[in-house]
Amino acid sequence: MSSVSQLALLFVGAALINNILLTRFIGLCPFFGVSSNMETSIGMSLSVIFVMVMSSTATWVVWEFVLAPLGVGEFLYIPAFILIIASLVQFVEMYLRKASPVLYRAMGIYLPLITTNCAVLATATEAAKPGFFKMNLAITNSAGALSLGEALVYTLGVSVGFGFALVTFAALRERLELAPVSRLMKGAPIAFITAGLLSLAYVGMSGWFGL
Amino acid sequence: MDLMLILKAVGALAVIGVATSAVLAVAAKRFYVEVDPRIEAVLAALPGSNCGACGNPSCFMSAERMVAGDLAPNACVAGGQTVADAVALILGADACEAVAVVSARHCGGGDRAVRAYEYAGVRSCAAAARLAGGPLLCSAGCIGFGDCVRACPFDAMHLNERGLPVVDLEKCTGCGVCVKECPRGQISLLELVPEMAPVVVRCNARDKVKARKQGCSACCIACKKCERACPSDAIHVIDMLAVVDYDKCTGCGACVEVCPQNCIDLFGRGGDAVALDGVGHGTGDTAAQETDVAGVAGAGA
Repeated sequence: MSSVSQLALLFVGAALINNILLTRFIGLCPFFGVSSNMETSIGMSLSVIFVMVMSSTATWVVWEFVLAPLGVGEFLYIPAFILIIASLVQFVEMYLRKASPVLYRAMGIYLPLITTNCAVLATATEAAKPGFFKMNLAITNSAGALSLGEALVYTLGVSVGFGFALVTFAALRERLELAPVSRLMKGAPIAFITAGLLSLAYVGMSGWFGL
Repeated sequence: MDLMLILKAVGALAVIGVATSAVLAVAAKRFYVEVDPRIEAVLAALPGSNCGACGNPSCFMSAERMVAGDLAPNACVAGGQTVADAVALILGADACEAVAVVSARHCGGGDRAVRAYEYAGVRSCAAAARLAGGPLLCSAGCIGFGDCVRACPFDAMHLNERGLPVVDLEKCTGCGVCVKECPRGQISLLELVPEMAPVVVRCNARDKVKARKQGCSACCIACKKCERACPSDAIHVIDMLAVVDYDKCTGCGACVEVCPQNCIDLFGRGGDAVALDGVGHGTGDTAAQETDVAGVAGAGA
């Protein structure tokens, strides 16, 4: 069982130091697709947090009790995890449609897109498959195999970091809409430059705590 | 090959697949949302070209809003009366009269408009209009590169041989996309007029009559002959330009007959068996093409 400080380190390392969007550049399409407006970016972040935590739990369970005991995980983990994540997103979509039509409408096309989102697949794999991601190895010191609790904390960290970066970026882009930007740079070009600068800020954190 | 490994792999994926599909099947039942079947029906009744003239991004959105009661059944500009009736029937609302409109061009210039310079750039009205106020001397005339023709979502506009866009009133739905696309749409070179409008004035010039006569041989010269000839007081020269009051116009065609510049056309679905833009008289149509050429030759001599 890991100590509280280890868990905190796992969380901070996943959320900020190894931010999935801005230092590892995974999942960039929602980063630009949903970030033009605060409301949808918050909706997207919440549903990514929800989907990531759920899918990591599911993939962890499947790895631990199905794939690893049968010894087929090494080559079967990608199709199995995709299957699980896709069904989960379908499930979340049905649930949201029933429970919160407003959020369902706000998410629009992006909710089904989470199905094939690389960030979700990457995080679920990192949380479930031992030794897949070196940062986990450095913190947990146990051949990189995360316990279920550690996997949850790690996934929560990644998804909160995802949401944090996305919402920050959406706020910047909303401000940029009103800023006197040159006509040539308006819209996507200035957004790309902003993303680059934002990424520099995050990359500046690399190396903290030896992560 | 280890046969057991293959069996294990197949077994593992099968178990996962069956389990997830079972969960999804249960969820589909449990979280089933009743969708109003009227939305589908209204959507089927709408034209489905997503032109956006009603102010909604898509026909699906307007169908939803119509069913919710946020949007009147006659809101579909493109669909006109038929669609309004169909939607009203589905929703059980009182059928309301759709104000059907079609697009009309207020210019008869074309090859009769004098060019200020030879334009050799991109064949686009928007580009040409930006270059020193456009290639025509007339600041209100049709540039004739067909931005409206390309923009029309219903394939209802075509350039005739005189370089003017002709509206096919059978196809025109009055969505107004051409008016938005036209660089001179703001000054009503293209304008939405009532579907039953029987005549249309083919000039939109607002500068002095002398100046506009230099720029075009088909312009309104504000002679007021149409005003005097009109038996129903429907056409007036306002600010040196003939303007038709469609509430009063009966479509008798007196103004069309009397106009010395041939710049008033019979138009619209209102006239007897006149279903095309300007067939019969005036300057905008193909039938009067030969008269036009003769007129130009006469003026030159």
